[in-house]
Amino acid sequence: MDNSREKIIDMPQWLLQTENYIPQADKDTFVNKSILSLLKVIARIKTQDSGKQAKLLVNVHLKVAFTFMLIILLSLTRSFLFVIIINVYLIVILSFMEAENIIKILKISIGMAFFTFVVMLPAVLWGNSYSCIMITTKIFASITAVGILSHTTKWSLITSTLKRFFIPDIFILVLDIAIKYIVMLGDFTLNMLYSLKLRSVGKNKSKYTSLSGIAGTMFLKSKEMAEDMYYAMECRGFTGEYHIYSKLKFKIADYIYILINVGIFLIFLYFGRK
Amino acid sequence: MHIPDNYLSPATCAVMGAAMVPVWTKSVKKVKDEIPKVKIPLLGVGAAFSFLLMMFNIPLPGGSTGHAVGGTLLAILLGPYAACISVTVALLLQALMFNDGGILAFGANCFNMAFVLPFLGYFIYKFIKDRVITEKGEYIGIALGSYAGINVAALCAAIEFGIQPLLFKDSAGWPLYCPYSLSISIPAMTIPHLLVAGVVEAVFTVAIVTYIKKVSPGTIYEGAKQKTKAIYGLIAALICLTPLGLLATGTAWGEWGTDEIKESVFGGNVLGFVPKGMSDGIKFDAIMPDYAISGLPDIAGYLLSAAAGVAILIILFKIISSFKKDKVGSKIG
Amino acid sequence: MIELKDVCYSYSNVNALNNINLNIEKGEAVALMGPNGSGKSTLLKLINGIISPDSGIYEFNQEEITHQKLQNNKFAKLLHQKIGFVFQNSDTQLFCTNVYDEIAFGPRQMGLNEIEVDKRVKDCLELLNIQDFKDRTPYHLSGGEKRKVAIACVLSLNPEVLVLDEPMNGLDPKTQRWLVEFLVKLNKAGKTLITSTHNLELVQEISSRSILFDETHTIVADMPTEKLLEDIDLLIKVNLVDQYYHTHKVYGKL
Repeated sequence: MDNSREKIIDMPQWLLQTENYIPQADKDTFVNKSILSLLKVIARIKTQDSGKQAKLLVNVHLKVAFTFMLIILLSLTRSFLFVIIINVYLIVILSFMEAENIIKILKISIGMAFFTFVVMLPAVLWGNSYSCIMITTKIFASITAVGILSHTTKWSLITSTLKRFFIPDIFILVLDIAIKYIVMLGDFTLNMLYSLKLRSVGKNKSKYTSLSGIAGTMFLKSKEMAEDMYYAMECRGFTGEYHIYSKLKFKIADYIYILINVGIFLIFLYFGRK
Repeated sequence: MHIPDNYLSPATCAVMGAAMVPVWTKSVKKVKDEIPKVKIPLLGVGAAFSFLLMMFNIPLPGGSTGHAVGGTLLAILLGPYAACISVTVALLLQALMFNDGGILAFGANCFNMAFVLPFLGYFIYKFIKDRVITEKGEYIGIALGSYAGINVAALCAAIEFGIQPLLFKDSAGWPLYCPYSLSISIPAMTIPHLLVAGVVEAVFTVAIVTYIKKVSPGTIYEGAKQKTKAIYGLIAALICLTPLGLLATGTAWGEWGTDEIKESVFGGNVLGFVPKGMSDGIKFDAIMPDYAISGLPDIAGYLLSAAAGVAILIILFKIISSFKKDKVGSKIG
Repeated sequence: MIELKDVCYSYSNVNALNNINLNIEKGEAVALMGPNGSGKSTLLKLINGIISPDSGIYEFNQEEITHQKLQNNKFAKLLHQKIGFVFQNSDTQLFCTNVYDEIAFGPRQMGLNEIEVDKRVKDCLELLNIQDFKDRTPYHLSGGEKRKVAIACVLSLNPEVLVLDEPMNGLDPKTQRWLVEFLVKLNKAGKTLITSTHNLELVQEISSRSILFDETHTIVADMPTEKLLEDIDLLIKVNLVDQYYHTHKVYGKL
């Protein structure tokens, strides 16, 4: 006989009966909202890696550099016409993309533009309509431009481009690690939120405690993960150098893209004269 | 508190970015010295943690939810230098990949949330903790540190907004970027933070630190025990405000009441047509001033509208057909 | 008790469940088996109301569970009380600072007074033999101990159904054996058990009926566990085992 087997006592009475429980209402949308935010973020990171980016075949370095240039030009310009031209240009690019991405990008750009419009409205009351019109359209353009970049490029490529902007390799490594761990830590945290949700069967009088318990555990877990990763890196002979290899060969699409952007720059200068 | 692009002039963004360079350099150096080897994974994971923390919806009384930044929390847990880098990376990812916060405004956002927030918050926390050597003292330090940290960060943002109309105007006197001067931007930013966001930040930070202390106290950053004098606080505050001071030199904290506009002198020009726009009512001409479509050759104008029209139609078509396909979608119960 | 009719679910265009038809009666002990990625975990989430079907019907106790209904706070909470879910990763399940509070979390939410809460917690501690951990921090316990705490904190809700996602993972053989006996006892006490598992050695003991998934995310077999384990060809076909798999005949078991 197995004497070392742990004793199992008889079941207590309450376990043998069906519970007649009627829940009270409680405002705990914060769990659902947090779950949704995390799901969106994790899904976003996973899709950008899935390789469906074949549409815009322009070299990543050019995309990043010219998007940046576009943002600067937009910020500097005082020509409403220039802003409109850029907006049309961006909308045309958008129309080549997949519906899913279009919706995601437009959600943010329209949302922010609308928000800006509302924020600028009071200024209209004392005669300043410039801010309302210009800043709103500029914001729409900038956000759309960045949105197009981040939705059509693998992020690992974007981060490797930063090397060309003289950012040290170590920062880029930290960036890449961060992206990866947002997914891993995010998954972990998501499950914690699910388990909180599933056990929130009534009135939770200590919501802050539960949420901070999750956040605290998330921190401890992140430290664990960091240590594990460090040991793994050591075991593979990591010495602090992180080399990023990126090719700089141009194809036809790249030359066309360069031409378009040079054109944009010239248009900027032309309208800037006013 | 993420500032988007086009609210701040490129000049402001450049200055704030330049101000951050020494901060980043110092932080990297300090992190290298303090936790030599584990630094890289820790920074990356710390950035992931910071990023995710900003996603949490925190319940507010009344059923709505808010967000916290957690800059002071990170400073308490990882030390201010590591916190600076972690928040910076998180902000970079948010700006570049998630469109939350501007690209040019990145320097300003980092200044507010990766510099002022963690360092000031940590300084106040340490200051109180080292003086009131009880457990309560520590919690008061945490609460006050995070509350002050986020409020001063909000104040910095408000100042960055508010000086735009004073410094960056076109020849007609229109502000080119944020049109609200300090008298508007400061109350607009600081009041919600003083009343709501600051409290959320403080409560959330205290609660999380409490949990971690109970569960795993050894993981909290132990800064070098140094004698903090009040003078350091003053110096820190001054350092924070210096870049902003550089921008604001030579300008007065203008009031922008509508009566004073006629009389006030902006860059040497007396504004005479602002009240005119108001007194005549807002006409379409006033809304679309000189830089409108006039001056563009007809053909170009047609091409522009045609391109825009076609593109918009294509986009609408794509979106509508994606809705038809996707009538079930993913439902999260 | 649990009825699924033609249930389908996809995670943003990636199919996870394909035309699932399943009936589970009250008091049954059912095992879900299948290769990695076949949809077992997704089905468990669906049963628990974390996600809702894209198409098809899910009924619990003759009431349809839909996305809209789950938006109703009270409805969702009642469902969560009736169906307890033990996650695969016990770390994600524990967020209180001590084991007592962890187990007491559920009953306190249900509005029981502290005396009843205390009784339930003490009963659960005893049932799972973790009385010594009452004041310990869950985060620092070992894998097996965490699993026990996780089960305890779900059990204290007194659910009708207990859903377990790979409960044997990470447990040493002795603890696995203990868990098997415990689950059998729970089932005998009236709890419906749904377990997802890879452990072909022990699955027979914790379930009388097994449901096999394949890589197309559909159910390809639904039969008594013993019979399924003997159909090695089928197990190989769904990529759950390879040709070197064999079973040891288990004596003296029901």
